[in-house]
Amino acid sequence: MQLSTIFSPNRVLDRRSERFIVVVWIALVAVIWIFSPFVFLPKPSEVFQALHDLWFYQDLGIELFTSMCLNLEAIAIATLISLALAYLGTIAVFAPLVSFIGKLRFLSLAGLGFAFTMMTSNGHALRVSVLVFMVVVFFVVSMVDVINGIPKEQYDLARTLRMGDWETLYEVVILGQLDQAFIVLRQTAAMSWMFLATAEGMAMSGGGVGMLLNTSNKHFHLAEVMAIQIIILIVGLCQDYMIGVFRNICCPWVNVAGRKG
Amino acid sequence: MTEYTEAEVLLQVQDVSKEYNGHLVLKKVCATIKDIKVVGEVRGQVVGFIGPSGIGKSTLFRIMAGLEEPTSGRVVLDAQDRPVRAGEVGVVAQAYPLFEHRTVMGNLMRAACKRYSKKEAREKVVAYLAEFDLSAEVHHYPTQLSGGQRQRVAILQQVLCGSQTLLMDEPFSGLDPIAKKKTEMLIQKIANLDDKNTIVVVTHDIAAAAAVADHLWAMGRDHDAEGKVIPGAYIVETYNLIDRGLAWHENIESSPAFTEFVQEIDEKFAQL
Repeated sequence: MQLSTIFSPNRVLDRRSERFIVVVWIALVAVIWIFSPFVFLPKPSEVFQALHDLWFYQDLGIELFTSMCLNLEAIAIATLISLALAYLGTIAVFAPLVSFIGKLRFLSLAGLGFAFTMMTSNGHALRVSVLVFMVVVFFVVSMVDVINGIPKEQYDLARTLRMGDWETLYEVVILGQLDQAFIVLRQTAAMSWMFLATAEGMAMSGGGVGMLLNTSNKHFHLAEVMAIQIIILIVGLCQDYMIGVFRNICCPWVNVAGRKG
Repeated sequence: MTEYTEAEVLLQVQDVSKEYNGHLVLKKVCATIKDIKVVGEVRGQVVGFIGPSGIGKSTLFRIMAGLEEPTSGRVVLDAQDRPVRAGEVGVVAQAYPLFEHRTVMGNLMRAACKRYSKKEAREKVVAYLAEFDLSAEVHHYPTQLSGGQRQRVAILQQVLCGSQTLLMDEPFSGLDPIAKKKTEMLIQKIANLDDKNTIVVVTHDIAAAAAVADHLWAMGRDHDAEGKVIPGAYIVETYNLIDRGLAWHENIESSPAFTEFVQEIDEKFAQL
């Protein structure tokens, strides 16, 4: 590997070189972290100690499980609602409604908390509905973009094969864009973890890592905050990987070798 | 010259005009394809539809396919008293679109099931795959196919769907001479699968169109006294290659008459 290669745009590297670059970056971040002069940034030893304490004395494992269940439930509901809305958006009469739902992503959760509290019967329902709302408004926008990006040739192909409107919707939009739907799911499921702390903060009694994060933040326990963030990052990466695995299973065409020539 | 007769009308373009935002693209286009009969032979029809780039060939192509409405006029099939509808005419677009999420078998079954029962459809698909040298690709996805294989699958998809009239958009575009020859043979083979099969090849490759077709439509526009183009293209000339003794011959490209004919069209092409 020539050094100039890794600093040039659009170069394709072999796996070994890619791994080498990743290792260098991890080492660099670790060095910066260990020798950082910034006094508020907890040192690795403090973070690992906080992680130990959180796990053994503050039930981080149980809280993490609670959050994962909450997140999974919200993502599942949000995915169903979002996909249904995005597909409905192909029908002229529903298109403005779907477009409007996408616009709601500009609203602040702070202003919606009261409305959601009034509409839901308990803390769990409040958390789920807040998360579902936040995921849906982003999911719908991305999915509508995916649908709008379908080339006209695909619709023409369906029409020339004598497919009706509903059959075309199924073949071209639903099945044809399934792999893209997984990519959107991957992005919005990651966003869901970002909204988790806010959602769990609305009903603290339900527990969860968001509750722990809020409490640690409130008391300036920065080592704990960082430890929880690292755990969320690891869980998020696992979730991302799993969605990728499901995508490969459900959409085998995305991973086939390229054209012969 | 092979003896032939022309029977009933298979496709008719009747005074088709098309405007986009007040800009006239097609002006009263008229054309007819008749069923050609040759005693003792199964002989389909191949029409080469030539014209300079951007003149409106693709617009007429989409109208003939029922994918676009003309501003006035209509295209009718088999002397029916109604305009053609999408799905009645097969379309093989330039990029050979296929359903990328389906295998070759899936793509062909999706089309064949429109015409046959599932069992029959499978039998037909397997037979066509063997005939068109695609059996080894049956479980491949479109992204795994070569350009030629993709072209064959796209054509077979339309044939299996039951379209006897097939429109092909620029099938010779970007092909080397060998691939071009193979495509010409493929078009002939598909056309001659059934007496009523009709293929309209839209192209600006005059030699390839003349080599494969029995009739040529040349699309052009009028010019004013100053030589400026008058908007609105139409079929300015129709050539019967059978009467000229240029159709249905193998290696016709090597005959002097063919070279002369292509040269004649080439010269006219510059004025279209």
